[in-house]
Amino acid sequence: MSSCGNPAVESDALMTRKPKYDKSRTCVRCKENTGNLVIRHAVYCKDCFFPLITHRFRRSLEPFVNPKPDGPRRTALKPTGDLLIGYSGGLGSAVLLDLVARCYVTPDKSLVTAEGGRDHPRKDRVWKKVRVCYVEVCDAFPGMPDRTEEIRMAVNKYQDLEFIPLRIQDSFDPKFWKSTGVSPDQLLQYSLDLGTEDLLIASTSTSSEPTAALRAYLAALPTPSALPTILKTLTRLLLLYTAYSTKSSHLVLGTSLTSLAVSLITSITQGGGFHVKEETQEEWRPTYSTGTNDFQPSELPIRIIRPLRDIGMKECGAWAWWMDVKVVGREKWVWPGAKSGIGSLTKDFIVGLEKDYPSTVSTIVRTCGKLAPKGEVDGRCILCERPIQEGIQEWHSRISIRSRADLTGKSESAPRSISRAQPSLTSLLCYTCHTTLTSRSSRSAPPLYPGLSVEKKVPLPVWIDARLSENSLHAGHNEVITGHFLTEGEKRDALKYYLLDD
Amino acid sequence: MAHRLCVLCETSKAIVKRPKTGQQICKECFFNVFETEVHNTISQASLFKPGDRVAIGASGGKDSTVLAYVMKTLNDRYNYGLNLFLLSIDEGITGYRDDSLETVKRNQEQYDMPLKILSYDELYGWTMDSIVQQIGKKNNCTFCGVFRRQALDRGAAMLNVDHIVTGHNADDIAETVLMNIMRGDIARLGRCTMICTQGEDTIKRSKPFKYAYEKEIVMYAYFKKLDYFSTECIYSPEAYRGHARAFLKDLEAARPSAIIDIIHSGEAFEIKEDIKATQKVQQTCKRCGYMSSNELCKACTLLEGLERGMANAGITDRARKKMDAEGPTPQNIRTIPFFQTSTRPGSPQPNNVENPQVTS
Repeated sequence: MSSCGNPAVESDALMTRKPKYDKSRTCVRCKENTGNLVIRHAVYCKDCFFPLITHRFRRSLEPFVNPKPDGPRRTALKPTGDLLIGYSGGLGSAVLLDLVARCYVTPDKSLVTAEGGRDHPRKDRVWKKVRVCYVEVCDAFPGMPDRTEEIRMAVNKYQDLEFIPLRIQDSFDPKFWKSTGVSPDQLLQYSLDLGTEDLLIASTSTSSEPTAALRAYLAALPTPSALPTILKTLTRLLLLYTAYSTKSSHLVLGTSLTSLAVSLITSITQGGGFHVKEETQEEWRPTYSTGTNDFQPSELPIRIIRPLRDIGMKECGAWAWWMDVKVVGREKWVWPGAKSGIGSLTKDFIVGLEKDYPSTVSTIVRTCGKLAPKGEVDGRCILCERPIQEGIQEWHSRISIRSRADLTGKSESAPRSISRAQPSLTSLLCYTCHTTLTSRSSRSAPPLYPGLSVEKKVPLPVWIDARLSENSLHAGHNEVITGHFLTEGEKRDALKYYLLDD
Repeated sequence: MAHRLCVLCETSKAIVKRPKTGQQICKECFFNVFETEVHNTISQASLFKPGDRVAIGASGGKDSTVLAYVMKTLNDRYNYGLNLFLLSIDEGITGYRDDSLETVKRNQEQYDMPLKILSYDELYGWTMDSIVQQIGKKNNCTFCGVFRRQALDRGAAMLNVDHIVTGHNADDIAETVLMNIMRGDIARLGRCTMICTQGEDTIKRSKPFKYAYEKEIVMYAYFKKLDYFSTECIYSPEAYRGHARAFLKDLEAARPSAIIDIIHSGEAFEIKEDIKATQKVQQTCKRCGYMSSNELCKACTLLEGLERGMANAGITDRARKKMDAEGPTPQNIRTIPFFQTSTRPGSPQPNNVENPQVTS
C-alpha cells in the first residue's frame, strides 16, 4: 500500500522511492564531518546543524522586524513595540521559544556572532520586553488536564520572560475584553441562531458564565470539523488582542514548515484561498479607534510572523533533542468525531506523504507563496478578522441553489430572507467562517458534551459583541445591526449621484 | 410516519438528500436545481453565443453522457441556438474503449447529434494497447492524457466547431487544485479552475459541470435512466491523482461542502504578477504546429520517444538528453499531421459536419 494509504494503487504505477540521501554521508556544509541528520536528501553534521537552523530562523524573522524593510543594507533592528510569543507547549513553539531566548533575550555566543564595538546599536536588546502567552483549551474538552502550571515551569526556565496564561473561554469574557483596552464604553450582548443557515442574530439580556458560553457555542457547531477551526480562530484572536494590549509590535508563532503546509491545505479545503497570504504572514490591527490603550493601532499594525516556516518538523525534533529543550507536548484534542475532521485528515495525509516524499511540504509552502488573493476586499470578517472577498454570497447562491427564490431567479430582485427585523451575521463573515458555521455533514456526530442540551441560540465571542455594539451605538439607537443584502437596484440607487449615464 | 416534504417545493415527497447541500428534496426539484445550476454556470461565464458550433467530448461514461443530455435540454429550454456535436476519441484500449464507444453511438441516435470518432491509431499511429506493450503501465497515463488533449482539438478542427465542452466535474477540479499545489505546478494551478481555456491557436474548451458534484451526476443519470458505460480504465489509475482522490473522498465524507470549498479557494487566488513574468511563453510546435511551451510539443516528444524505442524521453529530462545524444531525429519516423484550426470565417466546411459519420 502507498504511504498515503490509498489502497487502489497498483505497485507498478507508484512513484519510485527516492534514495534517503543524495550523494555521500559527509556533511554537505563543512564537507569534513560524517553527517548526523538528513534534511530533504541533504546530509548535515551536528556542528553545522545549529548555525543552519539559527540562520533559517533569523532569515524568516529579521527582515520583518523594522517597520520598513531595509533592503540589502543591514541596519539595527528597531521594532516599534514588544514581542509576544504564542506558546502551545508543542514541539514548534518550544523550539521557537528556545531560539528567541538564545538569539534575542540572553544571546548564546555559540550561535549569535558578536558584531560591532561595545556600544554598537546591534548590542542593544532588540525587543525591550518579551512575553509568552499560552491559551489553555482544557475547558473545551471534557476530561482534558489543565497544563498551565507545566507550561509556566517550562517558560520560567528562561530568564527575563513574562508569562501570560489565558483560557480559551476568555473569548467569551467581557472582563478579558475590557483588559485589552479596545472595548467600546457599552458592550451589548447578542445571540446567534446556529439552527438555520441564515445565521440570524438578536440582542439578548441573558449573560452566561464564560465557560458555559464557550460550551454552548461549541456544542451547536454543525460538524466535528468546525470545532478545531473555531478553536484555532478563538486562540488566534486572543493572542492578537493580547499582543495589542501589551503593546507588542510582533506576534511570533511556532508554526514549522510541516505545520504550515498542513494549515495551508486545511485552509484551502475549507474555502480559505483568499487568505493564503495571511496563513503564512499577516498584519493586523483592531477595528476600533475609541479604545483606552494609548498604542496607536491605526498607524502600527501588529505583525504575525512564523519564523520556523523554513524548518521542518524533523529539524525541530532534532533541535529539541540536541539542545535539551523541554517539550511539554500538546494534549490531543479528543472529541466525538475527531478522527473524521478535515484538519486531522489533512494532517495525516501530509505527514504520511512527507515520510516518503520529504519535499512535499516544502513544495506546498513554496507554491502557496507564489499566490495572491484575487478580487476585491469587502470589509473584515467579524469572527476571524481577516479580509472578506467581495461577492461570496452571490457566488454561493449561484453555484449552489438552496431556496426556491434562487431557483426561480427572484433572489435578484428581492433581498434574501433577511429583513431589517431579522439581522444576520452572513454578510459580515468571510467564506471560511461562513462555511464553518453553516456547512453540515451528511453523518450525524455524537454530542460534544453528553448531558448538555444543545441550544440553537448561542452567545458570541466578545469581539463580535463589541463590533455589533459599536455598529448599533453608532446607529444611534440600542438595537442590533440593521444590515441586509442590497439588491442591484438598491446598490445603484445608493450610487446614483456618482454614476455617469451609459 | 409522515413523509418528509421537499424543502424547495414544500409539496412533494423528498426522495434524495442532495450531496452538495445536504437538503432533502424531491426528484423534480433535483432535476430542476441540477439543470439550473449548470445553466447559471454557462450564462454567468457567457460561454456561448447563438449559432456556435459546440462539440461535446463524449467518452460514453457518466459525465459526458449526462453532459450531452443536459446540453441538449438547456439548448432547447433556454434557446441557446447551438449546433451540438459529439466528439469521441478512441484511445485503442481493447475491452474498455471499444465497449464505451458503443454507448456513444447509442447516444448519437438517442440525442440525434452528429458524431465524430478520431482514433490515436489514425492520428499518431499508436494505440494505447501498443504503447502499454512497449512502456508498461507506469506513466502510461501521461501518454494518454497528452495525446487525448491534442486529439480532441484536432477532432474539433475536423468538425469545424467553435467550442469543445468536456464533462469535467467539481470533484475532478477540486482534485486537480490539490494535486497542482502538492506538486508545485503553478502554471496549471493558475488555470485549472477557469471555466473556459483558450490558447492563441486552439479551440475554446469549457467545463459546464465545473460546480456539479460527481455524486449528483450519477444520481441524475440514474433518475433519468441514461445509458452510460461504467468501468475504470484497465490500465492502472494514475498513482499521484489516486492519492489526491482518496484524500478528497475522505474530506467529502467529513464535510460535503469540501469539494466546492476547494474550488472556491482555487478561484479566490491567482499567481502573483512577478511569478507570471517568469513563466514560459506559449509558442507553436515546429513539427506539428500545435501549441507548445518548448520547440517541440509534448505529444511530438512522446511520439518521437516511442518511435525511437526510448519512450521515457518524453517523461524525464535525463532520458530526453540521452535521446538527443543518440543523434538527430530520423527522417523515417511517424509524426503528427500539421495542426490547423478551420473555425475562422470563410474556412471550408468539412464533409462530415452535417451528416452523422462514424469512423473507427
